Order: sequence, then C-alpha cells, then structure tokens
Amino acid sequence: MTPLQKQKVDTRVIVETPEGADFQFVIAGAGTRAVAWLIDRLIQAGILALVSILALFLLPFGEAGAGLGFGGILIISFVLDWFYFSLFEAYWNGQTPGKRSQGLRVVRTNGTPIDPANAIGRNFLRAADMLPFFYTVGMISMLMTRRLQRLGDLVFDTMVIDERREWISRSGGLTANIEAFPRSECPRRFSVPERTLAVIERLFESDRIISEARREEISRPLSEALRKRLGYVDPQPDPRNPHTFFRTQGFRHTMFLLRVLKTFAENPEGTKSLAKNSSEERPTPVVAYQTKRFAARTADFVNSELSNFLADDAADRGRGGREP
Amino acid sequence: MPQTEEGVAVNRERFIRQRRSDWQRFETLVSRLRATRQPQWASSDVSDLSRLYRSICYDLSLVQSREWGSRLEQYLNDLVAQGHNALYRSAPKSLSVIWDFFAYDFPRTFRRRIGAFSLALALFLIPFLVSTLVAWQRPEVAEMIAGKESLEAASQNFGEELYADMDAKYAGQRSAMAGFYVKNNTGIAFQAYALGAFIGLGTCFILLSNGISIGMVTGYILSAGPPTTENFFSFVISHGSFELTAIVISGGGGFVLAHGILFPGQRTRMDSLRHHGVESLKLALGAGAMLAIAAMLEGYFSPLPISAGIKYLVGSCLWLLVISYLSFAGRGGTASEG
Repeated sequence: MTPLQKQKVDTRVIVETPEGADFQFVIAGAGTRAVAWLIDRLIQAGILALVSILALFLLPFGEAGAGLGFGGILIISFVLDWFYFSLFEAYWNGQTPGKRSQGLRVVRTNGTPIDPANAIGRNFLRAADMLPFFYTVGMISMLMTRRLQRLGDLVFDTMVIDERREWISRSGGLTANIEAFPRSECPRRFSVPERTLAVIERLFESDRIISEARREEISRPLSEALRKRLGYVDPQPDPRNPHTFFRTQGFRHTMFLLRVLKTFAENPEGTKSLAKNSSEERPTPVVAYQTKRFAARTADFVNSELSNFLADDAADRGRGGREP
Repeated sequence: MPQTEEGVAVNRERFIRQRRSDWQRFETLVSRLRATRQPQWASSDVSDLSRLYRSICYDLSLVQSREWGSRLEQYLNDLVAQGHNALYRSAPKSLSVIWDFFAYDFPRTFRRRIGAFSLALALFLIPFLVSTLVAWQRPEVAEMIAGKESLEAASQNFGEELYADMDAKYAGQRSAMAGFYVKNNTGIAFQAYALGAFIGLGTCFILLSNGISIGMVTGYILSAGPPTTENFFSFVISHGSFELTAIVISGGGGFVLAHGILFPGQRTRMDSLRHHGVESLKLALGAGAMLAIAAMLEGYFSPLPISAGIKYLVGSCLWLLVISYLSFAGRGGTASEG
C-alpha cells in the first residue's frame, strides 16, 4: 500500500488472484439491481402469459385438457418463482436477462464464477430477503455489508458486480483539450522522470477529491521546480487580447502540470491508445468529510516526491549533466 | 530508474513497448474464447491464455509497485479481471451429479443433520397430535379455531366416494390438483427452509402453523365416524409418506441454516454460514424432489377409485421405502461426500 492507495469511499473491492496480483471489482448498487430485478419480473410475467395462451389450445380436448393446462400453468409458475433466477445464473455464468441488460454479474466474493449451488441457494433465500415487503430485509442487509450483500449473498458467499464500470478510464479525459509544449518553448532539458509524471497523474485522478484552488496550491512547488528544469517561461500577455492571459493566471500551475502530462506522458505508442472510452469519464461522488484528508495526504505525497525530484536533479547537474 | 531482474533498466515507455503485443494478443484471445464454449477450446489456446495471463498478472504487480500511473494500472487491471473470469470457473458438471446427489449426498446429509430434523419433527408432530386430539374430542373447539365452513367442507369431501370411475373429469381435475400441490406444498417447504435465515423463527412458525391446521382437519374427520374416516386415511397414507417427511426435512434445513448463524463454533460466523448454507440447501433440494413425487401421488394415485385395502398396502410400502431410503441409501458407497 502506497500512501495514495485509494481510501475506499466508493464501492470497489480488491480481489487477490492466486497469481498474487490484485485487481478491483465494482460492486453493483441497490438501484441498478432493482432495475435488473424489475426487468426479470416482467420477463417472468411475460413467460407466464405466453404459457397461459398456449394452455388455451388444450381447451378443445374437454375437461382432461383444461385440467392439464391449468396444472401446467401452476407448475410453470412454481418453477418461475423458485428457479427462474437460479437457472439463468447457473447457465449464464451469474447473469439473468435483467442483470445482463444492466451489465451486472453474480460472482463469488473471491471473484471466481459461481456454481449451481451458489445460484440456487442465493435465490432460495429471496423468500427471506423480500420480507415484509419490497426486499426490506435484503436492503437492510445490503446497507450493513461492505459488498452490499443481501442475506442470500451472505450465506452463499456471493456478490453482485457492475461490469460496465470496469471499462471506464478514470483519468482518461484529463488532457483532452490541453496543448503539448513545443520543443522551442523549453530551452533546457526536454524530459521529465517517470515517477514525477506518475505523481502528476495521481494528483489529477478524479477520485482525488480536492478543490481546484487547493490543487493549484499543491501544484505550485512541483510546477516551479519543473519550470526550472525545462527552462520554460510563461509567455507575456498578448497586448491585443490580454483577457485570456489574466483569466488563466489563477490556475497557471495546474495548467502547466497538465501540459507536462500531455507532452511527456502521452507518447504516441504509450498510454494514449490504452485509455479506452476516455470521453465517458464519470465523476466519482464527492464525500465531503473525506476532502480535507485527501488534500492533506496528496500534498504530503507530492511534497515528498518533490524533494526526491530536486535531489535527482541536483545529482544530475553535479555529474556535469547534459545542460546546454 | 527501476531495474528488472536481469538488471536492464526499464522505463515506462520501454516497458509498454515491450509488453504491448502480449497485451493485445491476450485481449483478442480472451474475446475469441468468450464466444465459444469452454469444452471446445483448443489446447494451444488454453496454454497461451494461462501463460499470457500469468505474465500480465506480473505486469500489473510491477505497474502497481512502480506507480506508473493509474490509467495503465486500470487497463492491466481490466485485462487481469477478464482473464480471471475466463480461466477460473467451476468445473462443468454432468448429469451424474444428480444421480450422486440422490444416491449418496442427500441421504448422507440427512443422517448427518438428524438433530435438526428431530427438532423440526418435534415442532411439527407435537402440535399436530395435540390439535388432532383436541379436534377429535371437542369438534366445536376446532370449529372455533379453524373455521366451521372449511372443516365441514373437508369432512363432506371425504364423506362420499371421491370418484366413481376414471373418466375425463377425473383426469382433468387430478392434473390441475397435481399442479396445485407442486406449487403450494413445495412453496411452503421452501419457505420453511428460507425463513430459517431469521435464526429459525420463521421455520418454527411455518412448522407449528402447518402442524396445527393439519391436526385440526385430521381430528375433525376422526370425529365424523367410519366412512369419512376410512376415505380420508386411505387417501392421505400414500402421498403422506413423501409429503410430510419432506416438509419436516425442509424445516430441518431451515434449522441447519439457523445453527450456522447462531452457533459458529470454531469457525468465523461468515465461514460457518457458508458451510451450513450448503448443507442446508442440500436438505431443501432433496425435500423439493420428494414433494414433486408426493404431488404426483396425491394427484393421480391417492384418489383412485379402488378399494381402501390396496391403498393401505401401497401406502405402507411407500412409508417403508421413504424410511429405508433415508436410513440406508448411500451407506458405504463410492461417491465422494461433497
């Protein structure tokens, strides 16, 4: 755990694979699950209606036919009640039609796919979760568990994950409208160490819940050190239209770091092509009481990195570096 | 500058350049394999998949430890997640699982959990016997508790011959009733199981209330005298073997679940829940299958217009069958306990 490893204020859980790597799942919220459930209920109703219509064709066969049709409808409705969810989840690897439409999947809490016993068990316990009405028991249970599990999930060791969220890059849209530095604007060195770039990325990650002004403040020392290294000097205001210059002064350090990121972190074969769906960046919900702590921790981290950076830089120059 | 094990300096760009082709191969491989069913995967694909997966796990750890940016980490995280889902899944199961379950697993679990079954039996049988006795000796009390109309209707039902012969009316009504028994009785049994999650209280309630209401009807009919009584007992004896036993077993499953919640013993409460959860589910599923058999018997055999003697004979045999199945099936077998 590094100092900035995410403090969990959202619904991610980390699963460790047998290979020793950690990866994250996003737990599905009650709202999405309710929508999926509603869709499944509608499908169940549809199937029952269809079966009832088919049963009408048995009517011409007299009383025997009518009885058979009626008994059949009752059996189908029993199967739908108790096995609709579990059969789908067992054969579709943790998904029902409703869950599939919402991008949800049931997995075990260690991240592995469920087996039929998990599927049947967690859905049998719906009978307990849905009491006394509208899944009240299940809802209370979800509020009390980190993985938002209802009773059926708890007993059978499963959780519902939101798979669509996995594909959204959280800092992808960061440098969308930022200009890179031309080489001519940086008369001294034209490189920034990897670790420093990573620090800047961290600083701008959308789950660092920091106000713009505070971020500018944190950025200043690093920005000034980098300016020195690159030999970059802010251009003077354009006398014909000084307005733009003064408007951006308040965030000059933040803007500078973003441009550094754009110039040095996004080489054409690098991360640029890796950031999928960069336009779809989703804001992470802000939790107010966390804000101060995040800002303080981020500032600490950036400052410690800054001293590393200055030391490295000094060492470079001491060796009679490659300065022009 | 970070060093790899071979001592070659690797920076972020060089790392990405070197590894990207593997990542892309992995992505296409996973999406291709996802489209086909697992048994049809080529063996070369599988070995490629596991090799690439392991190396990407290593890449992810590297990126996480070097702080090489969250986007790269996120990307590799997604690759690992996909590979994980493709590689690790429960082994495909064949139909022999079903045979193993009924031949070995279910009766063995039943015997292992005989304590929970006994508790459920007591909670069903005692109120049943008491209310039978009450209704038999004092039908007016039963009328007060269970409602006069429904008891009289039940009694009248068994007062006359059920069916004179097997015609279309018989077939139609019996099919409808068989469907009703599946939905209603099995539903009650599964509910008795699931409500065990409320530390067994829900299970208690369902067992008690069913014991009382069934006892009321039995006692009331006993008080009505010979023709009704004989019709009634010859009707219920056959399917009762499966039906009553299964409802009590299912209630026992509910108590196993409650046991897992209340008395975790040496396990953590979560572990205990998982362990007892699977055990209890086996009981409920076995009971469900028994109730399906019971519904067919109750639908088609029990009301047959044949002499009461034959029904008593068959019914006794069925009771013997159920009891010996639960006590002896799966002893000394070869299938593994699951």
